[in-house]
Amino acid sequence: MAITAAVATTTAADCSSNRWSMQSLSSALPSLNSITCSSIRFSSSSHCRPSLSLTRTQQAPHLFSSYTGLASNNPLLSLGFSDLTSFEHGLAFVDNGCRISAMRHGRRVPKLNRPPDQRRALLRGLTTQLLKHGRIKTTRARASAVRKYVDKMITLAKDGSLHKRRQALGFIYEKQIVHALFAEVQERYGERNGGYTRIIRTLPRRGDNAPMAYIELV
Amino acid sequence: MARSMEPLVVGRVIGDVVDMFTPATEMTVHYGTKQVANGCEIKPSASADKPSVQIHAPPPASSNLYTLVMVDPDAPSPSEPRYREWLHWIVVDIPEGSDATKELVAYMGPQPPTGIHRYVFALFNQKGKVMAGCRPPDARSNFSTRRFAADNGLQPPVAAVYFNSQKEVAVRKR
Repeated sequence: MAITAAVATTTAADCSSNRWSMQSLSSALPSLNSITCSSIRFSSSSHCRPSLSLTRTQQAPHLFSSYTGLASNNPLLSLGFSDLTSFEHGLAFVDNGCRISAMRHGRRVPKLNRPPDQRRALLRGLTTQLLKHGRIKTTRARASAVRKYVDKMITLAKDGSLHKRRQALGFIYEKQIVHALFAEVQERYGERNGGYTRIIRTLPRRGDNAPMAYIELV
Repeated sequence: MARSMEPLVVGRVIGDVVDMFTPATEMTVHYGTKQVANGCEIKPSASADKPSVQIHAPPPASSNLYTLVMVDPDAPSPSEPRYREWLHWIVVDIPEGSDATKELVAYMGPQPPTGIHRYVFALFNQKGKVMAGCRPPDARSNFSTRRFAADNGLQPPVAAVYFNSQKEVAVRKR
């Protein structure tokens, strides 16, 4: 969101002199990736606006009025990729040669910027901590990636047999948590079918502006 | 549903602590210079002292008195809230404008032992001046805001706000 703010203030300043130049816009942009991601998230930030502090809610409507006047419906078109208008208008080409789509078509596994062994260890650690503490605060991508594994662990506990207990012990790092989970899950989640977690989006992290979220057991 | 109710529903404050209500009053809570917004993170060291509470009521009811209750529904841990809710503070007979005059239960700062806890401020409209016959609850644990409000004729709340807090990392001596 800070990136979009920087772009909007640059374009607003140039608008005051009645001349919007491509150079000023492209120089203000760090890279194409972040603009795509931040423009998508800007529309979803209207959902989490109630949870923002007061100073941000005062800034956000002002930014909307200056930014959407300049951009067309497709945010990628405003950046000058006019040769893609006819078809492939959801795709753009970045300098290093890969293609970025505005949609999630065909993406099955969240990679979390890690090799597979580290990714598995990260998810195991996150599910262990979530089952231990009940509510943790991480980045949004990790929170939405860990939902599947937490639900799997609770489903194993609902089954309750020895085989499932050993499977859970092979995934969760601390065995007291597995035994406690198997003991209490029937009374807690007996009637609930799935959806054992809840994600609440929150303010970005100060150090790297990563979007954060609380994930908690329902 | 009012815009300001959405974070309370998403954070399950409505549901765990109070029932659905329509906000009638504006309340702002400040710890020092930091204002409490729904779901914001406040350290235990910053919230060790009493906050300052300002109430702005709509004009027709200008001689109202209010009761403020602060509870923690995630005690001792959000995954096992055995002591739900843990009472932190009750203030009665709050006049219009500012602050804490008569504390029924003394302020106790957040001390979350494990996990991330929610701390809820719930404001109720008082009918009479002195809450006749209300005794302070004998224990802080297993408090019920709904039962307290029903016993003293305070239903429903007029405002609510909550914040999160977790145990601070202790400085290690090398």
